Amino acid sequence: MVCIRTWFGDIELHDNEIVRSQGLKADVPALAQRVRQEDFADFDKRVRARLRELAIKLRVVSSEQEYVSLLRAVMLQIAKERIIAAFAQPEARIIQLIDGIDDIDQSINLLSERLSEWCLLRSETSVPEDVLEAFVSSPSAKSALAQEFADSIRRLCDLRQETANAIEGEMRANAPNLSTLAGELLGARLIARAGGLEQLARMPASRIQVMGASNALFKHIKYGSKPPKHGVIFQHPLVRGNRPSNRGKIARILASKIAIAARLDFYSKKVYPELLSQVEKRVVDLQTAGHARTS
Amino acid sequence: MKVRPHQIPGVFVLDRQLATKGKPLYGEGTFDGYRLWSPQRSKLAALLMKPAHVPLAPEQVVLYLGAASGTTVSHLADIVSLVYAVEFAPRVARDLVHLSERVDNIVPLISDAAHPDYGAIVELVDLIYQDIAQPRQAEIAATNAELFLRPQGYACIIIKARSIDVTAKPKTVFKREVKKLEQLFEIEGVYGLEPFYKAHAAVIARLA
Repeated sequence: MVCIRTWFGDIELHDNEIVRSQGLKADVPALAQRVRQEDFADFDKRVRARLRELAIKLRVVSSEQEYVSLLRAVMLQIAKERIIAAFAQPEARIIQLIDGIDDIDQSINLLSERLSEWCLLRSETSVPEDVLEAFVSSPSAKSALAQEFADSIRRLCDLRQETANAIEGEMRANAPNLSTLAGELLGARLIARAGGLEQLARMPASRIQVMGASNALFKHIKYGSKPPKHGVIFQHPLVRGNRPSNRGKIARILASKIAIAARLDFYSKKVYPELLSQVEKRVVDLQTAGHARTS
Repeated sequence: MKVRPHQIPGVFVLDRQLATKGKPLYGEGTFDGYRLWSPQRSKLAALLMKPAHVPLAPEQVVLYLGAASGTTVSHLADIVSLVYAVEFAPRVARDLVHLSERVDNIVPLISDAAHPDYGAIVELVDLIYQDIAQPRQAEIAATNAELFLRPQGYACIIIKARSIDVTAKPKTVFKREVKKLEQLFEIEGVYGLEPFYKAHAAVIARLA
């Protein structure tokens, strides 16, 4: 006697003959509910070969064609639900927002360059770093079109600020330890690179350290060039703000702590505010040790 | 343009391009009711451009692992009778679902092929096609073949050497993967997909 549970009903088979069976109605929402809830066991290949035939015998459907179209309708519904659920994760929002910031930055750079070209047209020989600032007092500001242009850039800058605020909020709520240690934006970038907080939490620190430096890493693995010291982690003030000879060590210390922070955030949700100061202390040790050696 | 049948029923050769018959689904080029099938976009198309024996037939039911946005799936659905298309990544699965809504012989499954949760849904299949570019792909193919592939059924497995071991030579990686597959399958052929895909190979295997 074998009992099998399929998406369309339960069947008891004895010597390949149906002993008892309960087929469901060909109702898409009800069948979808069944697929959603039940944890089906796998069954024998001989039974698997007969699924269409069994569904017809149980009068769930009246033909093979109907079998396929009913199954398809049910699985389309489940597929849509699963996709919506995947995009409703906080990580999905964080990843969208950080990608949005990158897009805005690119647009601001592009338009700013255009605006500085514009200023040159009006025979201004040099355009300083902050184009928007300079633009206000330049002769080009008289042009209405150029004003429009500058306004668009300003709006983009505002949008960037708003997006950054939104990321900070999401990160504080969903990854507090990572936010404290790496900063909200860098933390979000790490989550986006890893593909989610869970993926980041499961990563070894060494991989976090070089995430974003994959070209350099593979060059190292393949051709034996120097390994990269840091990837996106370079943006952290502790890495960037120190002398190059110490950055590799600091990146390693920081990446180890980030791995711990991500795991805390994903698995325990407890907040440990001392993570950053622990890293800072080790950086200070490193700096003083360096000084002692050089003096 | 001259239309010739390919050795596989349902596949056509227009000049030097492959095509299947059906309505266009993802913005591909069309000619007189034929949908052009670019080997640049589909590894199966690249394989069909080779002098390879690919076990595809009109009445087949196929389990497709790693369906992505469904480009190849849509052409395969023109050739065979039914495709169960498995994809896990929600971003591309969205395109797959959108496409499945318009084709009546694709069943989309948003699941992880490494941990099949579609045991009560997928029937016995004639062919497993796998294009998942993962280090454990041979294992995943075996898991699915043990559950869903009929005796004497075929597997067509695309191996991306770079996803399995970046440091080893592609040839070494292919050999290693074929060895793993030999535990369950009889290998009928291994075909490189150059010049369309670098360091990719297709393994045609048969369940013993």
